[in-house]
Amino acid sequence: MPEAIKLYPQLTRVVKHFKKFDIEVPKALLESKPQKPDLSDFPYPLPQRKKDYTCFCTSADGAQWYGSNGGVTRYDSKAESLSNVVMHFSAHRDLLDNHVSAIVPDGDCGVWVLTDNGATHIAMVLMSMEEKAERLLEESHKYVARHGMYSQKYLSEAGNLDSILPYGSSDNDGSFSSAHAMGEIFRYATLKRELGEYHEDTIKARESALRASEANLLLMYISGRGDGFVARSYHTKDEPIPDDGLFYKKNGATAVCVNTTGARERGIVGLEVKADAPIPERLRKYYAEKGNEDTDITYKGDTSSDEITHHYMHLLVAHEFLGLEDPEYDELLKNAARNTTMHMITNNFALREASGEYTTWAKWNLEYFNSPMGWADACLNAGQMLMYLNVTMHLTGEQGIFRKTHDELIEKGYADLTYKHYDRFHHVSIQGGVEDRVEIMYGDHMLAVLSLWGLCTLEKDEELLKKYRAAFRSWRYSLAPEYNPGYDFPYFLSDPENAKPDAEKIRTWFYRFNVSRLAAKVSLSARRDIPKKELMGDYNETSCLLPNDEHFIAKYDRNPLEFKDEDSGGALCVEGCYPYTFAYWLGRYFRFIEEGTN
Amino acid sequence: MSKSIKLIGNAHLDPIWLWRWQEGCAEVLQTFRSALDRLNEYNDFVFTCSSAAYYEWVEQIDPQMFEEIRAMVKKGRWVPVNGWWVQPDCNMPSAESFARQALYSQLYYYEKFGITCRTGYNVDSFGHNAMMPQLLNKGGMYSYVMQRPDIRENSDIPENLFWWDSEDGSRVLTYRTPTGYTAHGKEDIDRKLEEINKRVEETGHGMMMFYGVGNHGGGPTKGDIEYLKANLEKEGFNDLEFSSPEDYFDDIYNDFLNIPSWKDELQHHASGCYSATSLVKALNRKAENVLGASEKWDTIASLVTGSKPSTERFKDAWKKVCFNQFHDILCGCSIMESYEDVKESEGYALNIASEAYNNAVLKIARKIDTWVDGVSEPVLETRHYTGADNGFPRPVVVFNPHSYDIEIPVRMYHPSKSVTDSEGNDVPFQNVRSSRTNDDHLDTLFLAKVQGFGYNTYWLEPDGDLRAPKELGGEQDFFMENEYIAVELDKETGFIKSLVDKSTGEDLASDNFLAIPTVIDDESTDTWAHNVFKFHKVKGLMELVSIERVESGALRSVIRTKHKFNDSYLTQEFILAKKQKTLRVDCKAMWQEKFTMLKFAFPVGGNEEISTYEIPASFIKRPCNGEEEPALNWADLTVTKNGKRVGLSVMSDSKYSYDCPGAELRLTALRNVIFADHYSDRPAADFNFTDEGLNRFSYGIYLHSGEAENSDVVKEAHIFNNNVVAVPESYHKGQLPQKDCFLYTNLDNVNITALKRCEDGSGDLIIRLYETKGIEDSKGYLMSKLFDNGFWFDIKKHEIKTFRVDRDTKVREINFLEGIVK
Repeated sequence: MPEAIKLYPQLTRVVKHFKKFDIEVPKALLESKPQKPDLSDFPYPLPQRKKDYTCFCTSADGAQWYGSNGGVTRYDSKAESLSNVVMHFSAHRDLLDNHVSAIVPDGDCGVWVLTDNGATHIAMVLMSMEEKAERLLEESHKYVARHGMYSQKYLSEAGNLDSILPYGSSDNDGSFSSAHAMGEIFRYATLKRELGEYHEDTIKARESALRASEANLLLMYISGRGDGFVARSYHTKDEPIPDDGLFYKKNGATAVCVNTTGARERGIVGLEVKADAPIPERLRKYYAEKGNEDTDITYKGDTSSDEITHHYMHLLVAHEFLGLEDPEYDELLKNAARNTTMHMITNNFALREASGEYTTWAKWNLEYFNSPMGWADACLNAGQMLMYLNVTMHLTGEQGIFRKTHDELIEKGYADLTYKHYDRFHHVSIQGGVEDRVEIMYGDHMLAVLSLWGLCTLEKDEELLKKYRAAFRSWRYSLAPEYNPGYDFPYFLSDPENAKPDAEKIRTWFYRFNVSRLAAKVSLSARRDIPKKELMGDYNETSCLLPNDEHFIAKYDRNPLEFKDEDSGGALCVEGCYPYTFAYWLGRYFRFIEEGTN
Repeated sequence: MSKSIKLIGNAHLDPIWLWRWQEGCAEVLQTFRSALDRLNEYNDFVFTCSSAAYYEWVEQIDPQMFEEIRAMVKKGRWVPVNGWWVQPDCNMPSAESFARQALYSQLYYYEKFGITCRTGYNVDSFGHNAMMPQLLNKGGMYSYVMQRPDIRENSDIPENLFWWDSEDGSRVLTYRTPTGYTAHGKEDIDRKLEEINKRVEETGHGMMMFYGVGNHGGGPTKGDIEYLKANLEKEGFNDLEFSSPEDYFDDIYNDFLNIPSWKDELQHHASGCYSATSLVKALNRKAENVLGASEKWDTIASLVTGSKPSTERFKDAWKKVCFNQFHDILCGCSIMESYEDVKESEGYALNIASEAYNNAVLKIARKIDTWVDGVSEPVLETRHYTGADNGFPRPVVVFNPHSYDIEIPVRMYHPSKSVTDSEGNDVPFQNVRSSRTNDDHLDTLFLAKVQGFGYNTYWLEPDGDLRAPKELGGEQDFFMENEYIAVELDKETGFIKSLVDKSTGEDLASDNFLAIPTVIDDESTDTWAHNVFKFHKVKGLMELVSIERVESGALRSVIRTKHKFNDSYLTQEFILAKKQKTLRVDCKAMWQEKFTMLKFAFPVGGNEEISTYEIPASFIKRPCNGEEEPALNWADLTVTKNGKRVGLSVMSDSKYSYDCPGAELRLTALRNVIFADHYSDRPAADFNFTDEGLNRFSYGIYLHSGEAENSDVVKEAHIFNNNVVAVPESYHKGQLPQKDCFLYTNLDNVNITALKRCEDGSGDLIIRLYETKGIEDSKGYLMSKLFDNGFWFDIKKHEIKTFRVDRDTKVREINFLEGIVK
């Protein structure tokens, strides 16, 4: 493997907004007499027209700061990385608005900025990448966690974390919580290796990882159907049930389908389904600790391959780092794998809804693959099914029906489907009359990464391994431009011959990741230095990958090159931290990255 | 799954081949009339036709018929395909030419018919470079129809239908037509239909069958259409349907097929065409280069001085160049007389370019502050040096059309006592022999250093007393060296006997002589060299007649050799100048040898040989198997010698053909075969030959360590091909400094090939660039005084990018169609 890339502490933007006459706002800012900067020989692209810059100052570290009608630009001619030479700060994430009338140094490395709507302190805080990970995790624990699951939460007031709404779920709780849990588990594994098993930080990290893992594993048990069916999410008695899918309220021996638009469309309102399979006590506590009984639970059905794939990779990671030192927990992991895999085998490689129908997006059978809808999905889904079987065999140590099924699927061409992804995807893009990049389902990226990483990790047959590596490469056309270490590190692990990390890009990704996942949008559309690449159907991208702190906030399910201002969760949202913590701790554990000191 | 056979009614039209363009034009009018008649007679008949140039002819000559065509296009019964001006050769045009093929054609189709072509269609072109998928995609095309090479010529390329990929990830669904582009008469149709039907059964998917009289136009006849209609009713065949390629591909997309993919070029068909008829090759290269350079400076001048840009004139000029890239023209396989027409139309384009270039640089030069206090006459009389009479040096402004910074010898047509730059520093110079005999017989050559897209002012102090000596005289050793290269010619053979890359100390001629003019027997082939892919039968090496050192000065040395072979002569001037990484060789060949090729051989030796060739906006590595290969400005051979990776690149100003038999690279400079000699069916006659007579051309030799793509070969070859322009100036006040640059990128693996105004008249600026070194992903920026800012961009390996900057300085990335058509 390549040598670890050293990540050094960086001056990191930490922003706080104030009313204009707030006591904390320095008098110097209010009394500042702005002078237009001379930018005639400015050697780099400027985000705004030169004539739009109205004021400037120099911070204590020597960086030049220019205020404009379109935000604040920081110029550090001595920056080690080209990406850090020119930084831009815009509303509403970094400023209250973009009309800067004054800017003064804060005596340190940051500045105070006066705009039409108030004042902002942009502190440039020297922060290691691990400190950033801890800060983000703390924010998630405080604002995002829901019964130990981590996806996102909503606010009543944009930009105000104190206005957090007490409840709120995500359609894909199982997916995002799995990714979060894996990040936590790699954090624990890293600290255990580096600090020792009994170090206070390691012990705390294990508690945190176990909590995230158990809370997530609960989703594989909570339906009580006893047939390995996995819930997308669940709600307790105090939480409102959103009208965005199929929900089942547990009533004891059975659960009843709740009256939602989706249920009405399917004609299954009031449908009863078995729900009396016991929930393991150490998982049950995640709702019971707040006084909820089993009958207070409403779980969400119509589960997708998205959740299943995340869960299986989580099972594998949890088994390796938590289960092997905790046999009781390992049994829960194994049972989950065994039951859900059997569910799929006995249901013609699909998840079966309470109604007896397949769920909308969890089909791994040839009928689906040969249908117009499933033809392009087949390559991804074939790999997923093989991964589930491999994970189940690895965890349980059982071969039997799992091996037999695996071999049958190989015989049916599942492995050969995996590497046809790009051909089929491109075909349907053209069929739809759009360019590839418009058609990409960005949420599929993590599914491809997890399933192929799992396959490449567990597969011992060299011929199959070659196919899975080819499959991974067939995804690189759309994965590679993101330079997301959360995708690239698993790829490098899966295909070491192609492990060619770009240190500059990896550093930039971590260095410039936001210190908060609070939605606040940016003003990309007002910038002059970032070309808008016009694709079909009014879909636009930026011509270059912007640093994370200058584009919208999203999970691993959006195109980071998309040319847009709004964060993907909307203005009233705070996202979980896994996009950073998963990549960071995975990278640390497998030694792709390590902390350096300045 | 559709298993239908789409019948593609078409008329393959060569506007020039065994006839001149006037006949081609008439043929277009007749064919189009015939096609319209057939469309009126048969309600289900569909006609497919490429080449915007033909439509423009009809529009200009027969507007009424053009309206009929418009109506048929609107009904979907007349289907324009291939959004290019003609069906060009797909090996030799530059990427910028392909961009213009798409730009002017697709905008024409859009304006006249309200459509753009989604299908590329070059059914007769003699091979297709590996960048075609990207070039097609960026011109708005996502599927492609080709034929050559056929299955006998290259059986590795998938048959029938395949995804064709280029390195950047672009992709076109490609149909390799197995039965040609014509079918006419019952027997021919039956045979081809049977073959197509068989392939439908084998592949399980639909196929296309092209029918109609072709080459000299014609198209589907009544008899053909009626015969096919009768077949439509017959049992035994898969469904037959009158249709178009666009409908065919739509059907394929709507099926769910496992289609093979191919990521390589499609070669070879007519390997002799990379070198046949040097004239047209030289004109194409020159026109591409001068138009590109001229348009850049015209654009800069319009923004700096407020003058009107020459966008419309450039469009006119480019259309001529695009037309002459038609495969039978640029491939040199048309009749001799047609090349008189080519000279005319390329001349038209070159004249537009030269005028615009001169106007542009003078408009800028006139605004440079060249005033010198004390000059009595603000206007300098060029020949008699009014200013100089008063002891003042004369300003000369040098303009660089490249995005690369350059340091290169520049010639002015009078001798000088001294040369200084805009900051007063002495500049290396040398008074060298001029091409004239009167006056002093001396020119000044000085070393100009100019930033990319910039200019610099030099001050030349005239030397009115200097006269060239009557005798050449001087030392007669044949060794030259500069900072980078040391070269010695052999006094017995005139070949290079030592060629040392001073950065490595490696002598590339340690095993063999280099630059050996080798005469190849080429009698057994035709103009195309059908079915011949190697040219290895050596008739002999040219013999040395004389060798002399003709210059040895502060700036450069020149050694002249003269060789002969029977009645043919070759004069070469080996020129090595200060600060130059390329050894330049200016050649004059008086060629009389019938059925021959002249190759310059570089048997470098060593092992682990890799040959690399420039293709449009990219390069490709091919096996060193001795097959003749097409290349644009350069080809390279890199080998391991004495444990080191070392390379020798050969570039030229006008040639496109090389071969590499093992560890030897050979530039094919001349190919003297009969014009339009098709399969060598030769009656007794006194034929004319393609390269007989006087040929002037230049080639260059560049040495490097490591692999070719990591070297400066692209930069060197492009500078070699497109020299700077220097204009003599007078003394005047001005707002512009004596040295400036207008456009800059920080990436040395990016070449900026176009700087122009948008075709929609908005005044928006268009900038096109591409990645040169095969680096997977680069992040860079571009800065420009023209819009007083810059922008960031990422660029992938071999990617071409086009940007549009509006008047409000907002930047969009668009394709070749400039954002006018989405």
